[in-house]
Amino acid sequence: MVEDILVDIKKDYVLSKLKEGERIDGRKFNEFRKIEIQTNIISKAEGSALVKLGNTQVIVGIKMQVGEPFPDTPDKGIIITNAELVPLASPTFEAGPPDEFSIELARVVDRGIRESEAVNLNKLCIEEGEKVWLIFIDIHALDDDGNLLDASSLAAISALLTTTVPAERFEVGDNYPLPVRDLPVSVTSLIVDDKFLVDPSRDEVSVGNRFLTITTDQDDNVVAMQKSGSYLLKEDRFFEILDVSISKARKIRERLKDI
Amino acid sequence: MRQIVLPGDLIATNPKVAGFGTYVENGKVYSKILGLLDKTETSVRVIPLKGRYIPSIGDVVVGIVREVSGNGWSVDIYSPYQAFLPLSENPEVKPNKKPNDILDIGDAIIAKVLNIDPKMKVTLTMKDKVCRPIRFGRIVFINPARVPRVIGKKGSMIKLLKSELGIQIIVGQNGLIWISGDRRKVSIGEEAIYVIEEEAHTDGLTDRVTEFIKRRKSDVGIE
Amino acid sequence: MSELNEKLNEKEKIQLIFGDKRLDGRKFDELRNIKIEAGILKRADGSCYLEMGKNIVVAAVYGPREVHPRHLQDPSKAVIRYRYNMAPFSVEERKRPGPDRRSVEISKVSREALEAVIMKELFPRSGIDIFVEVLQADAGSRTACLNAASVALVDAGVPMKGMITSIAVAKADGVMVLDPMKEEDNYGEADIPFAFLIRGRKIESIALLQMDGRVTKDELKEAFRLAKKGAMEIYKLQKEAIMKKYVSESVENG
Repeated sequence: MVEDILVDIKKDYVLSKLKEGERIDGRKFNEFRKIEIQTNIISKAEGSALVKLGNTQVIVGIKMQVGEPFPDTPDKGIIITNAELVPLASPTFEAGPPDEFSIELARVVDRGIRESEAVNLNKLCIEEGEKVWLIFIDIHALDDDGNLLDASSLAAISALLTTTVPAERFEVGDNYPLPVRDLPVSVTSLIVDDKFLVDPSRDEVSVGNRFLTITTDQDDNVVAMQKSGSYLLKEDRFFEILDVSISKARKIRERLKDI
Repeated sequence: MRQIVLPGDLIATNPKVAGFGTYVENGKVYSKILGLLDKTETSVRVIPLKGRYIPSIGDVVVGIVREVSGNGWSVDIYSPYQAFLPLSENPEVKPNKKPNDILDIGDAIIAKVLNIDPKMKVTLTMKDKVCRPIRFGRIVFINPARVPRVIGKKGSMIKLLKSELGIQIIVGQNGLIWISGDRRKVSIGEEAIYVIEEEAHTDGLTDRVTEFIKRRKSDVGIE
Repeated sequence: MSELNEKLNEKEKIQLIFGDKRLDGRKFDELRNIKIEAGILKRADGSCYLEMGKNIVVAAVYGPREVHPRHLQDPSKAVIRYRYNMAPFSVEERKRPGPDRRSVEISKVSREALEAVIMKELFPRSGIDIFVEVLQADAGSRTACLNAASVALVDAGVPMKGMITSIAVAKADGVMVLDPMKEEDNYGEADIPFAFLIRGRKIESIALLQMDGRVTKDELKEAFRLAKKGAMEIYKLQKEAIMKKYVSESVENG
């Protein structure tokens, strides 16, 4: 009940600031919060990254193991992406099986990695039809201050960039760095009336869950899109958001090149 | 036949004429439901062809008692919203009578919607001469959107049924209709109501219903 | 660029485009065969049977009706629920009954598309349930389901801003094609499902938009053009199906 009242108060505050052309934290409409990326945090994982996007924090761990390929792709490795929106990250998260939000988040992050072909699945074959590498991308939310999705995408690609294939543990050769050949970056915008705010914070989301996420690869191709939330979007607004998303992704990609 | 319109059909450009079944956006009037377009000079409305019963204050309804409690009865009025008949609104209540002796689970009643609170809690009353517990006769259940057709313009259809068949009919706005009288005539009455329900949106219905009743009466051998 | 070429060379290819025709003989902007029937279920408040290519789906709407359990009620509006479900026999390899992650995501975005146009404030504290069963699946089952759900909602008398019409566009052998079939979905380079609000006989806005694959901005522009064309054609068929249910009765009775 107390949460509800606060949401209404925040909503009014966000909207009144927007009328003056401002965001409550002073950012420009197309500005991301401060991004911090730390890799190799979990030594027991094959790869890991902690991303802080403003106050939002997500950690992604990469685990790899040898397993059987899918019958219709006997020479390709497998990527499995899962997200846990654990209760410690937000008063509104509950323990239990993944709900539609965590499933959607995992699938959109997965799409970015998969469709950009950042990891060459053909190179993950050990023995055709018998043994391939399985890559588990596990997203663990730590603090939800809005836009877990972009934070998770960043953490996922950062973790992959620093992943070591544990060939020695599985006795199939020497360890080697996982080859990553693209840098997909997702950009999520919150749509408010006729405006849109890039990288929405949780307080900003109080005005309503209306998102558009666009993921691009290093050649500015679009590799994933997800409209999320019940709202109607005009076509010309979509193309505006597309342009901004492409240019923001380029800037963020520069950070990934340092990893 | 009147034109059938769908949600989102543009039906007028003057917001002042927007009536039932329509909504206004950006100065344009659109239909919000599936229904029959009824256009006059001063108003444009859409007569619904389908839809659940949403109660309005003053509606006569036929309901079934679902629960009995110390202060009244929960009544199912076949709506997304439950209704409640307080003890104080039932004229049959006497100081030494138990509530379930007056009305028990499964009993049918004719009642009126007295009040609807902001939380959509519906309060019924039986303090009106049309209201009564139903102890005999038959209850017919039709699509509530077709009820206006069963009543007819200025009650013309219901008058027809009553005069042609000599039966008593009370129509609940929620699609439940109570009929009573001679068993065979009640049966024809029920069939006639289903015909009206099926063909509610067509022209010449009154004549066809009259024909239908006359035919069925002679089939069964009644005057 | 060389990395991109490397990726293109790896994909197992079957040829999808032959001149100006597709594998099944269709033109780039041609829809598969569609059949729509409204009001085919007795128990549901509204229903629709729909075939789109080899997709066979049935949608049913219940509501507005009471919400149970009580704590799920919303005091200011109806709660909308959408369940996309695939029958075990709907696909070549039997699918285990029950929701999988893909069904959950599809249910979410489909519900959101319809929620954007259903006038839920008119029915506080109630629920509107939309169930769609995929009896046979071919590419585009989610769009077929959404089209059927839209018709079922109208059939149920639920007030809405307008119709929702859904269609997908794919990229096959580098060409943008409307309403992809199975091979184009499997071997193509991108899949873009759309849903639009159609009002006043015009495509007004986007209610659903997703994409996976790889496309340029120009290809997206072409995708929009194709999708809008396809959506208008499907909308006409949705409308016809609803009208057919009521007009045929009056024709019978003069």
